[in-house]
Amino acid sequence: MRFINNQSSGKIAEVIEAETTRFTAQCYDLYGLPPLGSLVHTGDVYAIVFNASTSSLEPGRKPLARGKDETTEEDIYKSSPQLAKLLRSEFEAVTVGFKDVESLRQYLPPQPARIHAFVYLCQPDEVKEFGGSFDFLDILVNAALPIPAEELIAASLRQMSRVQDDPRAFLVAAGKELASLLSSQYDRLKSILGRLS
Amino acid sequence: MSLDLTKVASQVIAMISGLKDAREERRQRLQFALDTLNDRAINIEKLKKKIAASRTTWLVAELVEGLDKRCPAPLNPADFTVIGSDGSHIDVDRHRSNRCYLINIGSAVITYGSRPDAVLSNSPRLYSNDEDLVISSPDGDREQVVEGAILGIKRSVEECRHLAALAAQLPADSDCLTLLDGTLILWGLEAYPEFVTQSLLNDGFLACLDRMKQLKADRRLALASYISFPRSTDVVNVLRVVVCPHDVVDSDRLCRTCTSRECDKVQGVRDRDLFINLLENGERSALFISPSKIVKERYGDHRVHFFYLRVDDEIARIEIPQWVAENDRLLDLTHGLISDQCHCGQGYPVVLAEAHEQAVVTGADRENFWELVESSMIDEHLPSPGSAKSFSKRTRWI
Repeated sequence: MRFINNQSSGKIAEVIEAETTRFTAQCYDLYGLPPLGSLVHTGDVYAIVFNASTSSLEPGRKPLARGKDETTEEDIYKSSPQLAKLLRSEFEAVTVGFKDVESLRQYLPPQPARIHAFVYLCQPDEVKEFGGSFDFLDILVNAALPIPAEELIAASLRQMSRVQDDPRAFLVAAGKELASLLSSQYDRLKSILGRLS
Repeated sequence: MSLDLTKVASQVIAMISGLKDAREERRQRLQFALDTLNDRAINIEKLKKKIAASRTTWLVAELVEGLDKRCPAPLNPADFTVIGSDGSHIDVDRHRSNRCYLINIGSAVITYGSRPDAVLSNSPRLYSNDEDLVISSPDGDREQVVEGAILGIKRSVEECRHLAALAAQLPADSDCLTLLDGTLILWGLEAYPEFVTQSLLNDGFLACLDRMKQLKADRRLALASYISFPRSTDVVNVLRVVVCPHDVVDSDRLCRTCTSRECDKVQGVRDRDLFINLLENGERSALFISPSKIVKERYGDHRVHFFYLRVDDEIARIEIPQWVAENDRLLDLTHGLISDQCHCGQGYPVVLAEAHEQAVVTGADRENFWELVESSMIDEHLPSPGSAKSFSKRTRWI
């Protein structure tokens, strides 16, 4: 068996479904979701968060509106402490690369993530290292996702730019890469560039 | 073959028609019962004596606070904990080769106030040892197999045991209500031999109640059980005693020859019908004492008291041991916290609903359990013959 995640601190979620191109993870804390476009890693697999949801732990039990007599939303959770144990927050992430012995690769890994593998939000230095190449954009441009790829690409670049020494230069370089990838799809390119600010 | 509803439909229509015809008569009986309950002329002390002297085949509640008392929900403490436990079981299947049963206890510990928190858990346990499968008399001459109704009672004991264990973990000086689903009275044991009652009631259920009573020494700990939509008539039977023209009610000797049959005027009325008309939302009724034989003979200082509580459009019966009933603070804690639990839980206590969710064993779970047992036996090369009847039910053919 291959147990990659020996790191015990800083984990935010656990993989509950996995395939080569994506995985789904359940957060340890209700609403402890990484933002859209965040770079996360589980073991040697790197992925970008493209979807998140919070729902009932059991499919047959739907949440009911409870706040009619409460002043704040926080009061609802205070007067029904069990809610935090009956709801779960999950996110889905698209695989954009992996780390092998030699270096960081921005193409699909040989193995998908493992079920119950811990998921970590990448730290600024990891994001910086990953953002050193834009090869992952090719995966995102061609990924079949339930949200528009343009939204995800823009969100991930915004997230990555925040940890760069020169965010603007990073976004300009990313824009050039996208212009090359989407040379025949002007509307898509425009849509992404319009969301980078 | 599924049930042929077309053959049942006409019978259903006849049943509903009968109910409709009897509606006016039921209304009159209920009104008579309510008028009797509210009768200011009733001398409660005399009534208590008449109840004590009664010899009836039906259960007549003993009075503590009169008949028509109504108490509004008291204020609850700012910080408190409510604990509930509930259970499910997989019974012994005599058509399977391996005799065993499983009890799954679900529990919910919910803390409210400045540090809200919830712990929901379940604890399934498989019973397959000889001492688990039978209860033996001390001299070893007699045995009672644990299955069916007895397993249901054993499950009640385990629910109470879990509740006591969880209550013991609470910090001292805290306010806490522990809640069971159903009755505190283990009625079913009345049909079984003494050694079975001793094992399950005295050494089991009542021992757990003893533990909880001890725990209240350094914390405000109340214990109650919650009966939703009760069918009991203990208080209505008090009204039968009230209207009985005889000085001493003796149902075996006098009722057969009684010509006035005044008590028939409350026939068919249930306690919940009375109290849904008497109580406002959140109010509790007067306290009563269960007249059941097993309680009188066995429960000692856990003697079961009860009151009715209005929760929106439903009446619930709340049963409490004597040591809760006689402590005003614990009685108020029980009343207030159950009202609050029902308010938060859409009419049913949240801790019991969550404990049930943790405990529930579905039909699919049962199938999976037996598959696991049988496949594990096969893995170990142990024979697992089942009955032909069981095989026939599982493998249907034409």
